[in-house]
Amino acid sequence: MQKIFLYFTLVIFYLGLSKTLSPTELGMDYVPNERGLSKIIPGQNVTVILTDTHATGFVIKTYYQKYRLVYGFQGVEEMIVRTSRDFALKNRQNIGMSLFRRQDGAEESLPMPPGVTYVGHRGFGEWRPDRKGVMRWRFYRAYKNLPRYLGWGRWRPDVTFQEDYISFRERKKPFYGRDQEFGSDGKITKKNFPNFFKPERQKKVDLKSLLVRYLKENF
Amino acid sequence: MNEIFDRLLIRIILVGIVCCMLFIYKYAHVLFYPSMKQQMTKRFYPAQNPADTLHMFSRLIGFAVILSSLGFDESHGLFLSIFHFLVWGTLTCGLYLISLFIIESIVLYNFEYKDEILKRQNLSYATVCFSHALAVAYVTRAVVDQSENSLVILFVLWLLSMVFLGFGSRYYSLLTKLNFDRLITQQKPTIALSYMGFTIGLGWLVGESFTQEHYDITMYCVQVLLKMLLALIIYPLFKRGLEYVFKTRTYAAGPDSAPQDVDVQNWGYGFYECALFIASAILTSMIVNHIQFGTIYPFF
Repeated sequence: MQKIFLYFTLVIFYLGLSKTLSPTELGMDYVPNERGLSKIIPGQNVTVILTDTHATGFVIKTYYQKYRLVYGFQGVEEMIVRTSRDFALKNRQNIGMSLFRRQDGAEESLPMPPGVTYVGHRGFGEWRPDRKGVMRWRFYRAYKNLPRYLGWGRWRPDVTFQEDYISFRERKKPFYGRDQEFGSDGKITKKNFPNFFKPERQKKVDLKSLLVRYLKENF
Repeated sequence: MNEIFDRLLIRIILVGIVCCMLFIYKYAHVLFYPSMKQQMTKRFYPAQNPADTLHMFSRLIGFAVILSSLGFDESHGLFLSIFHFLVWGTLTCGLYLISLFIIESIVLYNFEYKDEILKRQNLSYATVCFSHALAVAYVTRAVVDQSENSLVILFVLWLLSMVFLGFGSRYYSLLTKLNFDRLITQQKPTIALSYMGFTIGLGWLVGESFTQEHYDITMYCVQVLLKMLLALIIYPLFKRGLEYVFKTRTYAAGPDSAPQDVDVQNWGYGFYECALFIASAILTSMIVNHIQFGTIYPFF
């Protein structure tokens, strides 16, 4: 009995020490929920876009999320955090979405299409008619890179989109676009966040093809 | 032809230098074992005292193992390469003897070299010393290899290795039912063989844990520490597993009984534990040091 106790103490000591000293654990913030983002995201006029997520561990899982921090005035940064299981699973469908925004001191953590916080803000751009006469949001020249950072591609929001966004926000419901073009299943997200949707990351392991490839490579 | 002859000549000179190192070692040995002074200064008769022969020449094997880790770099000239060899050879010789002295002080604190070897010709004691000589030599060799000609790193790694060997040697009592002190006093071969297997296995594990690339000494030491902790976890699993696979009935009286005289006098039991310890250590080393996890997880 004493030996078993000693053995398990050793196992726990090893796991604890490994976790403490692991390079992946050092300098990585933990985000338990939406409110956690507020503490770790510095600066003003920022929108936090979820660009990737994955879990490690066969038995005990650790969840990670990768964010793109788009600052109105400072450019773009990337951040990887550990998250709680609930928060990670809750946001599986929110790839390419903005999970947190801070604009002029006001914070919001409802999943919304990226960059909605800048749309309608006179400091960043203005509404202009396109060739068909539809009013669409255009950033000023100084912010011409923002659509690329936000993962919009060639898409630009129109006034109706803005109204829908405000409506969803008031009802405190996530908004995935008028045609569900944002989020993990959205076509704009799939086009502008290709890393997450790479075929090799999505495919399931097939034992037969794995064995055939192994035999071809080694014999 | 001249060049080939020169190279042959240099090799012969280096053989002489290595022999000189062994000569220095012989007298350095007296510093740590003053009771051997008489034997060292007079002619040695191997057949007279087999225990003493084993005790003394096991250290010679160990020293040869350590010296083999040093090399001669002739690109900087013959003199400098010999000087480097002499400095590091003397240093490693000193470290090796201090290591042996420390380990034997921990494990054999109840025994005196003079009583066991010179008076009683205790072969079990000599075999234990033989295993220490081999294990410590292997570990010292690994440490010298990893120190990359830095005295500070050599000293840090050597201290770390001593801690592992010292604590590791206390692990033996948890893995066997044999009473070490009593059986050594009774000169039983069982304990000698069993302990030899354990010590050589421990030396193998510690030496292999040190064998890895390092850029930052702190992180390297942490990695080595974690490897040793992991080895402590894996090792008993292999030992239990091997016992189960081969369905060995450890003692004649029953699996949970204390070892009887018939067991402990038996060479077979000694060989059995020796093989078990060595095999477990080598397999543990494979699990701890030779698994490349690569990228089993997706990465960003």
